[in-house]
Amino acid sequence: MKLKTTKHELVDALSVTSRATSTRSALQALSGVLLEASSDGTVVRATDAEISLELSLAAEVELPGSILVPGRLLADVSKTLPDGDVTLATREPEGDLEIKAGSSSFHLRLLQADDFPKFPDSAGDPVSLDSKAVSETIGRVAGAASTDEGRPVLTGVFMTAEADALTMVATDSYRLAVKTTKLTTPVSTPIEANVPARALRELSRLIEAAGEDTELQLWLGENQAVFGSGGTRLASRLIDGQFPNYKQLIPDKFDHEVSLDRDELLDVVRRVSQLAQRNAALKLSFSEGELTISAETQDLGDAKESMPVSFQGDLLEVGFNPDFVRAGLESIQEDEIVFKLISPLRPGLLEPAAGEDFSYLVMPIRLND
Amino acid sequence: MIAHVDMDSFFVSVELLRRPDLRGRPVIVANGTSARSRGVVMTASYEAREFGVHSALSLAVAHRRCPQAILVPSDMRLYRRASKAVMDIFAEFSDTLEVAGLDEAYLDLSGSIAPKTRAREMKHLVRQRTGLTCSVGLGSNKLLAKIASDLEKPDGLSVLDETEMPDRVDGLSARIIPGVGPKTEQRLSGVGVQTVGDLARIEFELLADAVGRNHARGLQARANGQDGRQLEPVREPKSESRETTFDRDISDLEWLGARIDELAGEVCASLSRGCRAGRTVTLKAKLASFQTLTRSRTLPHHTRDPDEVARLGRELLDVLDAAEPLRLIGIGLSGLRRDGESPPPTVDDGPALRLDLDAA
Repeated sequence: MKLKTTKHELVDALSVTSRATSTRSALQALSGVLLEASSDGTVVRATDAEISLELSLAAEVELPGSILVPGRLLADVSKTLPDGDVTLATREPEGDLEIKAGSSSFHLRLLQADDFPKFPDSAGDPVSLDSKAVSETIGRVAGAASTDEGRPVLTGVFMTAEADALTMVATDSYRLAVKTTKLTTPVSTPIEANVPARALRELSRLIEAAGEDTELQLWLGENQAVFGSGGTRLASRLIDGQFPNYKQLIPDKFDHEVSLDRDELLDVVRRVSQLAQRNAALKLSFSEGELTISAETQDLGDAKESMPVSFQGDLLEVGFNPDFVRAGLESIQEDEIVFKLISPLRPGLLEPAAGEDFSYLVMPIRLND
Repeated sequence: MIAHVDMDSFFVSVELLRRPDLRGRPVIVANGTSARSRGVVMTASYEAREFGVHSALSLAVAHRRCPQAILVPSDMRLYRRASKAVMDIFAEFSDTLEVAGLDEAYLDLSGSIAPKTRAREMKHLVRQRTGLTCSVGLGSNKLLAKIASDLEKPDGLSVLDETEMPDRVDGLSARIIPGVGPKTEQRLSGVGVQTVGDLARIEFELLADAVGRNHARGLQARANGQDGRQLEPVREPKSESRETTFDRDISDLEWLGARIDELAGEVCASLSRGCRAGRTVTLKAKLASFQTLTRSRTLPHHTRDPDEVARLGRELLDVLDAAEPLRLIGIGLSGLRRDGESPPPTVDDGPALRLDLDAA
């Protein structure tokens, strides 16, 4: 194999693919990136057997071929190369890859490519999706997915699309985020899949790197999904099992609906949360016309701040995980929000007052006093 | 994609780990160490297999075929420990694991975009952590996976597609098909069936005459690579309970309370051994009239504290307020969780509440 590219192209491609290389696998091949040069072009590919990434590399192919190179090392080396042209060529007798840029040259020993899996098939007709809508929706809900492998179904983002509505839901059982985004072009067939949150985060990065106006194509198989956009492809497994019926978890009726200015509330929450350390709760006390947010950490101190609100009725004190409240507020983009509440032990709902279709349900912490 | 993992000459390989001096020599693990004893071969090393020694052979015959073989008495405790170690590794690769014996298991690798790579990783890890080797077969069903694991033994890895059955399996003895034992084999050979290919293509009526219609149907499907069996993973029990029936019907609450204490102790001891704890305490009572009543209460946290469980059990007995004497009483804990399995964040102010996802 022999090809010529630039440092810039190489670094860009490797910085993305190296995110899928596995550094902990018992299988050395998974720590590698595959460079495949043919008359159709050059691709760089990496996988950890959970997700697989493929990017096209702008390069002049002088000699086609396919090699597996230690991924981290190649990415690190590329970053330090002098700007300008880079040639990559295998040396047959030595069994290594020669990298030349300016007056520097490197020789990297190749890895056994036999153990490297091929990119999953993406047979059949893809569904086209508006990539901007996809990446934006991912950004709003993926953070609420669980990281606990003990319950795999919650580590995914449940994604559905029908007609012109794209909906994603994620929950770690302490909070739940749902976002529905209108698609500019309706989907050709309805889709439903539970995709690992990690894969979607990577997808979101790819979309952003590619510029948001590209069209995203999705091939949905029984056990896996392949996303494609331009010369980039991402394959991920799908999560098996029934995702909770989230609509049933959101109460139909709330006793209180308090309108608040998002930025103002977020500022107060951020300030006061500094004194809610070591898992202490953020206490929200709603009284006639006023919301007081307070926190106390033993042996550290306490904080308190009040703001006027349109609350009516008896005193309502609810404790929340400060990080969850902050994350919920940060996921809302509208200026005005509504905080819906029932009682200290029932879930609270954060929603934009108008505009987009987003809901963030958060469970309280039981306050002892 | 289903994987069948078969440890290579498991008992012998485990023995060789503590007796490396025997490596490369014909070794037989047997339940008896004298050639004259009535023991049988449990596992033979590949070196011994070359002399025609295989498992289930009597030791006397094995000795005749391979007099130089070294006999090692079996140590099941050691093999069970080694088995647990390899099964734990398999479990890292799939949530759906069917333990089919001490030395074999089926697992569903459909969750990976690269099942063959996963299998390869698993083999590496088994060798790295235990020093043992295994053969892995991959196929779209259990049968194909099982046949595949045998194709490249030892230390093999092969994928068998249904369409490849004719090329790769047809020439092999029909004995490899599950359901073909010595008796069926004899009947098959009566109708000229020796190989998998013969079995796959013999005229159905002829086969049915030899082995019966039902058996024939199953055998022929399997010889064509078809298998509808699902994996049967070991599921963790969802609850743990103990109950006791009395010699006579009892209404003395204090006496019943003492039984509750005992039962709670037993339930919690069992949970403690399995490193599990539960949240919902259930009291079961059978009245003299045989009517069964249950009452439960759910705690905000997980427990296996016998005092706490007993206290709740006694409270539930009060709530039950039985109008008749009881003939049976039981205590159970459900909503079980393994230790270290995402405990709710411990919050100084009190427990974090969760959404009731199971109800949704």
